[in-house]
Amino acid sequence: MPATKALPDPIVARLNARVSGTGERFMLFAHGFGCDQAMWRYVAPAFEADFRVVLFDYVGAGGSDLAAYDPQKYASLDGYAEDVVELSRALGLTDAIFVGHSVSALVGLIAARKAPELFSTLVLVGPSPCYIDDGDYRGGFSRTQIDELLEFLDINHVGWSQAMAPVIMGNADRPELGEELTSSFCRTDPDIAKRFARTTFLSDSRADLVPVDARVLILQCRDDVIAPESVGAYVQAALPGSELVLLDATGHCPNLSAPAETIAAIKAFV
Amino acid sequence: MSEDKPALIAEAAAVDYEDLFETAPCGYLSTDGNGRILRANRTFSDWTGFGGDLLAGRHFADLLPIAGKIFYETHFAPMLHVQSAFNEVALDIVTADGRHLPVLVNAAVRRDGDGSIASIRITLFKSTSRRAYERGLIAQRDTAEANILVEREDGELREQFIAVLGHDLRNPLAAIASGVRLLDSEVLSERSRKILTLIDGSVVRAAGLIDNVLDFARGRLGGGITLQREAREPLEPVLRQVVAELRAIAPDRTVDSIYNLAEPIDCDRVRIGQLVSNLLGNALTHGARNEPVRLNAQTHGCVLTISIANGGPPISEAARARLFQPFYRGDGGVREQGLGLGLHIASEIARAHGGTLEVRSDAAETVFTFTMTLMQEV
Repeated sequence: MPATKALPDPIVARLNARVSGTGERFMLFAHGFGCDQAMWRYVAPAFEADFRVVLFDYVGAGGSDLAAYDPQKYASLDGYAEDVVELSRALGLTDAIFVGHSVSALVGLIAARKAPELFSTLVLVGPSPCYIDDGDYRGGFSRTQIDELLEFLDINHVGWSQAMAPVIMGNADRPELGEELTSSFCRTDPDIAKRFARTTFLSDSRADLVPVDARVLILQCRDDVIAPESVGAYVQAALPGSELVLLDATGHCPNLSAPAETIAAIKAFV
Repeated sequence: MSEDKPALIAEAAAVDYEDLFETAPCGYLSTDGNGRILRANRTFSDWTGFGGDLLAGRHFADLLPIAGKIFYETHFAPMLHVQSAFNEVALDIVTADGRHLPVLVNAAVRRDGDGSIASIRITLFKSTSRRAYERGLIAQRDTAEANILVEREDGELREQFIAVLGHDLRNPLAAIASGVRLLDSEVLSERSRKILTLIDGSVVRAAGLIDNVLDFARGRLGGGITLQREAREPLEPVLRQVVAELRAIAPDRTVDSIYNLAEPIDCDRVRIGQLVSNLLGNALTHGARNEPVRLNAQTHGCVLTISIANGGPPISEAARARLFQPFYRGDGGVREQGLGLGLHIASEIARAHGGTLEVRSDAAETVFTFTMTLMQEV
């Protein structure tokens, strides 16, 4: 007799979550600002043999339900962390591994504080609790520069036009546009992208950097303009017992530019 | 001679090929897999003021202002990794003398045998005026959005004002009405009595207008038309009262009425009275003055129909389509006919009752018919 399959929780569809791989432990990968779960395409498969790998898109990104985008909720990282907790609970995660890139590193820390039973290991890739310089703290940017970024995002639609919107919103009565869609990643509604950028780059999450029970690995790149080495050191100092690995990879996305090194560093830790 | 020709052409083509790379009307950059510039063409050097030597070895992202650097790290580089190409990116290049040069960028990667990125080809097109145009469009959009917000607020304020004004007008009107009633019981000259009748008619008309305005404002403010249904009370006396009021306003006109309301009707009697008052008022204003206005109210089966007919020129098809819209005031003709809310409110009252209000108009007559079922389905 076939087991009755329970209907998936709505959060699974809302965040376009996908589970693959085999193993006891769950491993959840969270993308950062600018892209979607495609960011993990060279890294996540390497863990499918040993873990149940969860990939998802934040509301507003990738294949998530754009209609669920609530500007008020997602004006703070807390709103994103709520979704991580809701998804993890829906999938039955406990003592799992959270891997968060960029802004997601902080989302993971907030989620771990909200629901300590979910994650016993946190891997923070290029974390920064605050991008704007403040007193002695060096985040790397001035408020003016971040404002320039927000303005700049206005002129880069990243493949988005009003004509595309209905298709992306799930109204597929124009299949020729859908075809184009399948070959394009990281497409976002510019308005949502701008709001996510504001949440990402204007949030000061230094207060969220409090010791957690989970083991913490920080992966730091070289020449990372977004999360410089000094910020990585700041994060490590704020999380007693955390381990920091300085990768040879340059830039902000070692998960794409140096997947082998990234995989090796994570495997060595988990 | 002739066998030399292909060789000459090939030689010329090779020279031209090199020249095409260097002087093409677009910038060319070739970088390694990490975005470090290997070679730039002369066009790009000329645009930016960097000699070729100054560019080689620099990271492409180093040529961008901070916003561009962040965009490069969060979008540009990831997209190249994920989909091997990224097109139509609007970037600014910081030139040697610190100016920002707006460019449109296409980029594609070449991969090694193992799939890692061996090099990135970047093509840059100057887009100074296009960027200015796009910024203009964005500024216009922002202004338009801001204006819409302001106007929406203004509109709400106006409607609130109308609602308050309408409400406040009711009190003095009620005072006038009771004054008229008091005077009515006095001994009056014939002329005074005539004037009193006119005042009374105007009070009824003003009260009707205020009701319509208030209902309209309430509808716009989200309240909608609310009903207080009561099936046990008879509708006929309410309709007779409405007809009497309108007769008083237009004493020189004939209103024929037929009532055949045997069944109980689950309706808001005051609202149905308002509907009939609006339709009668409309018929008296627009109908032929030498023909009677005919009201026929009847229950038949489980349906209530109230029709109000008048003679006169028919309503054009175009006008009929817009008849029930608020503030619609017909094709010219009579001027002092009110705000154009009467038919709109009447149709809203019909809708609130789950009924319909329809119009038929030809050379013989114009008939508005309200239809509703006697009892709400439970």
